[in-house]
This record gives sequence, structure tokens and C-alpha cells, in this order.
Amino acid sequence: MTRKVTITGWQRAAGVVAILALAASACSGDDDSTATDSTTAPDSTTAPEGTTADTVEVTQGGGVLAAVQSRDVVNCGGNNGLAGFGSVDAATGEAAGFDIDFCRALAAAVLGDATKVDIKPLEAAERFPTLQSGEIDVLIRNTTWTASRDGGEQATFLHTNFYDGQGFMVAADSGIASLEDMANATICVQTGTTTLTNLNAVFADQGIPFTPLEFASNDELNPAFQAGQCEVWTSDASQLASFAAGMDLETTILPNIISKEPLGPAVADGDSQWAQIVDWTTMATIQAWEWGITSENVDTFLTSEDSSILTFLGQPVKDADGNEAVKDLGLGLDADAFYRVIKQVGNYEEIFERNLTPIGLTLAGSPNDLWTNGGLMYNPPFR
Amino acid sequence: MIIALLWMLAIGLVATLVYVAGRLVYDAWGAVRQRRYDKSVGQLAPPWRDTKVLAIIAQLVFAIVVGVIFWYLWGNFRDRTDAIGLNLSFDFLDQPAGITIADNPLTPADTVGEAITAGFFNTIRIIIVGIPMAVVLGTIVGVARLSNNWLLRKLATGYVEFFRNIPPLVVIVFIWSGVYLTAFPRAADSWQPLNWFVFNNAKFAFPSIEGLDNFAAFRWVILLAVIAAISVVYWRTQVFIRTGAAHHRVLWGLGTLLGIGVIGYFALGGPVKFSLPTVDEAGRVYEGGIRMQMPYAALVTALVLYTATHISEIVRGSIQAVHKGQVEASEALALSGFQRYRFVILPQAMRIAFPPLINQFLNFSKNSSLALLIGFGEITSIISNLAGQSQPAPQLILILMLLYLVISLVLSAIGNLINRRLQIVGR
Repeated sequence: MTRKVTITGWQRAAGVVAILALAASACSGDDDSTATDSTTAPDSTTAPEGTTADTVEVTQGGGVLAAVQSRDVVNCGGNNGLAGFGSVDAATGEAAGFDIDFCRALAAAVLGDATKVDIKPLEAAERFPTLQSGEIDVLIRNTTWTASRDGGEQATFLHTNFYDGQGFMVAADSGIASLEDMANATICVQTGTTTLTNLNAVFADQGIPFTPLEFASNDELNPAFQAGQCEVWTSDASQLASFAAGMDLETTILPNIISKEPLGPAVADGDSQWAQIVDWTTMATIQAWEWGITSENVDTFLTSEDSSILTFLGQPVKDADGNEAVKDLGLGLDADAFYRVIKQVGNYEEIFERNLTPIGLTLAGSPNDLWTNGGLMYNPPFR
Repeated sequence: MIIALLWMLAIGLVATLVYVAGRLVYDAWGAVRQRRYDKSVGQLAPPWRDTKVLAIIAQLVFAIVVGVIFWYLWGNFRDRTDAIGLNLSFDFLDQPAGITIADNPLTPADTVGEAITAGFFNTIRIIIVGIPMAVVLGTIVGVARLSNNWLLRKLATGYVEFFRNIPPLVVIVFIWSGVYLTAFPRAADSWQPLNWFVFNNAKFAFPSIEGLDNFAAFRWVILLAVIAAISVVYWRTQVFIRTGAAHHRVLWGLGTLLGIGVIGYFALGGPVKFSLPTVDEAGRVYEGGIRMQMPYAALVTALVLYTATHISEIVRGSIQAVHKGQVEASEALALSGFQRYRFVILPQAMRIAFPPLINQFLNFSKNSSLALLIGFGEITSIISNLAGQSQPAPQLILILMLLYLVISLVLSAIGNLINRRLQIVGR
């Protein structure tokens, strides 16, 4: 007497489901522990020793700086569809733009060569998951700094490199001159952006009804706007200027600015050394501008009388006893890191004029002007 | 709703796991008894040569290997999420979503859960309208490809070869930007044929039925009329089978439906009226009628055109698989071309076509996620939007996968049910 063991289709299906079940049961089990972890987290003195030690080990052992240096390239999340900020240069075929230049500045500071960057183009909605996964070291993609992103996206935002605000663009012949004129109009916006939440909040507060039309990518939003499907395009004012520059359609950007949009680089939480490097590299371009140091004249500053400038450029400074020493800022960078940034990429003003002046943005008198000229660009001292 | 769904799925998965473990134990017990019997009759083989034992060991090893792989992946995932402090709870479903969807009452203050639900129903809306259209178009084209008319045959072939060999994403963007966006006027210059319709490149509006007083009662009357009509059709069919007298079941059915409907309409004092759509000068404020967003129309058109080519190939193959003798027999009976298809060929072909058709239904429902690109607020675009609004992506993607799983399982269940009916009818 024998019995045949056959695996029927039903059993096979059950096996597949069982595997899923395994994953799901593990999932639900661990969710509880996460919940308890998060409730005890604020009370950090009583947090379990083990978890704290683990976290420290991750930051020290698996530091992003060491990873970047051994890889010899900075992975930078950027944009490839926004002329001026991040796009592909038609002439050279390379990524170019304001944000891209800040990636290059970082590569110059960390690796000594501004070309050692790998720009990963990202859509708005995928940028934070990509940053969380560690696929990119830094996100510099016209990204607005908000509390919920600092908190909820496990991102650490650093020094703002562009102060922007949300504006509205309409066709010049549309007859729309104010927010009230937009009642019941179709307003287009990119998904996964703060622009979208601002739009909803402001229009709901003012009681203006409208039809939202949300696109994952500006590549589809742009033709929809030009064909008139969107009567209004809302985004950061700088982006609107960038797109208007590349359009045959006559457009008007309304004077109404409905939000603060500080754009800046962001890194993943958990590695403060790397965050400081990105932060001070960004600020170095502003500091150099304040001192009048440009990529052209930086070498003449190497023999400056000003000890702050010498420290900034990594030159030895004489102390009171006449001993010369190079001051280590303790950031984990080479002494001449900022010299290389200015020499290879330039100061903030140069980066701005190279990328954003061609799309019609002006620096003088804008919020992005130096604090000494009444703008917002101000940074702590390099001492 | 979503939390309940997650729980149902988790319970279902655990139950299945228990069932599988039970089966394994049962099989092992069977093997033990078999070996006891073999021993008692003195024919006991060594365990490494006993296929029953080997089969059980193979299953166990497979289960353990798969389990270990998943355990490793899960641990890896947890290490990463712990390292960056990612919150893995589902509490965010009750947070305000801050988004709105075109032609949906959702407000920015509504929760993430409500936004996901709204997106889910938009996906359902695509599927329910699109799949029947794709089946009808696919069947017509499939029959046309076998037509004796040269022009018709070549046209159908050209259409199928064109759309079948382009990725659905490209078809969608082509239909959206190349046809709908540029061929229709701006909202301010809407095209209003007969004043019955409104067409522009943002929205379409069609005439509709608008409910007045007693509308709720009238809906019950309509339901009653439909049930009565189906019963009458059934009764006429039975009469036809019993006596062979002309059944006229379509006439009888429609008559019943209209009769009850008209009586109900007057008895309830005119509960509905015909509503024509109008739009203001600027093309923004619509009154009356029923409205459809342009991206929805573009998506359904593109997906129907794309899926219908695949369906037509299935239909064509199934028709060719019907035995030639069936066609010859129906020709010998002097059936007309329509009768031949309606009564002889298609019923047999459908039986063959149905299982692969279910696959196309699933493809259709999954391809609907490409609406993300052209700005229709279906579930994938809502989820990706939420993930960009500081809502946690891992949980959102899990929910998204589960919702598509539910859609696919329901579609296959319906398909299998119909398939079983077809098989029984055909014997």
C-alpha cells in the first residue's frame, strides 16, 4: 500500500501565503516594541543601555564621511528637470545648476575634487525615502525645510542656500490678478511637495474653492499648463521663473507670495559629524562672499593679514609668541578644504550668478542677499 | 477601514500558516503510520529511500530556508529603521492629510485614512468602467480580425499591432497629451455641442438624471422593476423550452421594466428630471449634468485601447481553437454569420478564453496605477503624494500593496466564479 504525495495548486498557493504570513506576523510583533520604544524615548535617562550604545556605534563606526572617502565620490540627490537649480546642461550633457554646485562644493571640501559627485535625479515624492535608505549622502534638491520633515522624515536640514516663497503663474492673457480671481479655477501643483499643502491650507482658510490637479513630475505639468488644462501653476517663485524662461507662452507671475520656502541641503538623521561638514561647506560659500573672496582672487588671500581668513583658507596663523600653526576646526576636513571649495566652485555670489541670473532671478535686494546688504545670508564665524 | 483590512489580512495569513503547518504534521503522521505498516509486513525501506519521508523533509527544508531568508531581510530592515529612528506605527492614519482631490469632497483637514479611501474608490472607478469596455472592444476586434472583409481585417490587425507593441505608459501619455490635451479647447472656450455636452481639456460634462422629491422611493421602484423584468425573461425562456413557442423575452423584459418604471414615475409625482450640463463664461463653474475629469477619460481610453488588443488576441485564438466541424455544421444549418457567432462559436470560444482573460483584468487594474503621471488622483498617486507630505513611506507602500492585492484577489475570485459557470454549462 502506497500513498502518493502530490502538491496541488492549492497547497502551493498556501505555501506562498504562509511566507507572507511569516513576514506579517513578525511585522505585527515588532510594531508593539516600536511603540514602547517611542514612548520611552523622551525619557532618555531610563532608555535601555543596549539601544543607546547601538545608536552611538552606528554613528561612529558607519560614519558617512568614512564611507564617502572610501567610495571617493559623493552621492547627491538632485533635480534634473529644473533649469537653473538642477538640470542637464544641453551643451556638455552634465548635471548643472545652483543645487548641483553645492554638491560639487561638498565634493571639493571632502574629496578635494569638485567633479567627484554622482548626481541622482529624484522626483519630489521619492527624495526622502531615498535619503533614508542611505542611497544618497546628501539631498540638495530645492527642498523646503519644515518641522515635519525634520521630525517625520528622519532628515536633518542644514543652512538654507536659497530663501524662496510660493508664488502663482498664469498665462498673461488669463485675466487672473489675485487669489480671489482663481475661484473654481484648475490649479496645478506637483505632488509630494509643501507647495501642495500650502495651497490647500491657504485656499481653505480664505474659503476660495478650486480644482486641484496634481502631477508627479513637472515634465507632465509643463505641457498641461501650456495647453491651458491648468489655468494656474503654483510652485516656489524661483521654479516658476525657471520654467517661464523656457516657455513660448507669455506668462505672468503674480506678486502674491503665500509661504516661506527656505530651500537647503538635508542629510539623514544620526550622523552629526557629516551634518556639520555639509552645513559648514554650504556656509563657507557665504563667508567667502562676505569677505570678497572669489575663485579668481582666492590665491591673493593666502597671504592675508586677517587671521580669520587665514584660518578659513587653512593657512598657518602666527600666535602671540610668533609660532606658526594651522588651526584645526575639528570638522574632520582637511585644513584647506574651504580653499578648494572657493577655488573650484566659487563663492555664493558666483554660484548664484552662474546659474540663477540666466533664468531671470536677481540677487541684489532679494532675501538671498548678504546680511550686510539687508538680506538673510548670515553665518556663524569660522573660528 | 484600512486598519480593519490590515487586521483581516494578518489574521488570514496566520490562519493559513497554521493550516499549512497542520498539513505538514498530518502528512508526517501519515508517513509514520505507513512505515509502521510496512514494518509489520516486513517491507520497511530505509528512510533515505522512502519517497514519503523524503517529500516531507524536502518540504520542511524549503519552509525553513524561506523562513530564514525572510527573517534575515526583516532583521536587516529593522536594523536600518532603528538606526535612523523610523517610526513604524500606523497612528499616522488619523492625522490630517492636508491634501485635496479634484471632484472629491475631501478637505485638507480630513485624515490620511480618508484620503487613502478616496483614492481607492477612484481606482475602483477606473476598473469598473474600463474592464467591461475593454472586453467588448476586444471581442469585436478579435472577431474582426477573422472577418472575410479584407479592409476590416487589416484595420483590426493594424490597430492591434500598433497598441499591443507599445508600453502602456507611453500609450497613456500619448492619449493624454497627444489627443485629449491638445485636441480639446481650453475651459474658457468650451465646446458645447447641442448644449447637451461640455467638452474642454480639463473636464467633460454629460446629461444626467437628477433626483427630486421621492427619489429614494423611486430607486426602490427601479430595483423592483429590474427584478420583475429578469423574472419575466426567465419565465419566457422556460415557456420557450417547454412549448417551443416564440419567447420574445427581450420585448417582454423591456416592456415590464418600462411599464413598472413609468407607473412608478407618475405615482411618485415625477421624482426625477433630465439634467443638462452648463458651464459659466470662464469655464469653471458647472451646473447640472454629470462631470468627468479629462485625466480620467484619457486614462480609461488609453487603458481600454491597450488592454483590448491583448483581449482581442485571446478572443481570436479561442475562436480558432473551436473545432472546424462546428463552423461547418452551423453553415450546413444555414445560420447567418451573426447567428453562427452568437449561438455556436462564441459560447465555446469564451470557455477557452476566460482563464487568460482574468489575467488581462488583473493587468488592467494594475496598469491603472500609471494615472500617477497624468494627474488623476487614484490610489498610487494619493499614496505617493502622502509619502511626500512627511507621512511614513514604508507603511504607506505596505498599504498600497495590500489594496492592490485585495483588488486582484477579488477580480480573480469573480473571474473564477464565472469561469466555473462557463465550464459547467459547456460540460
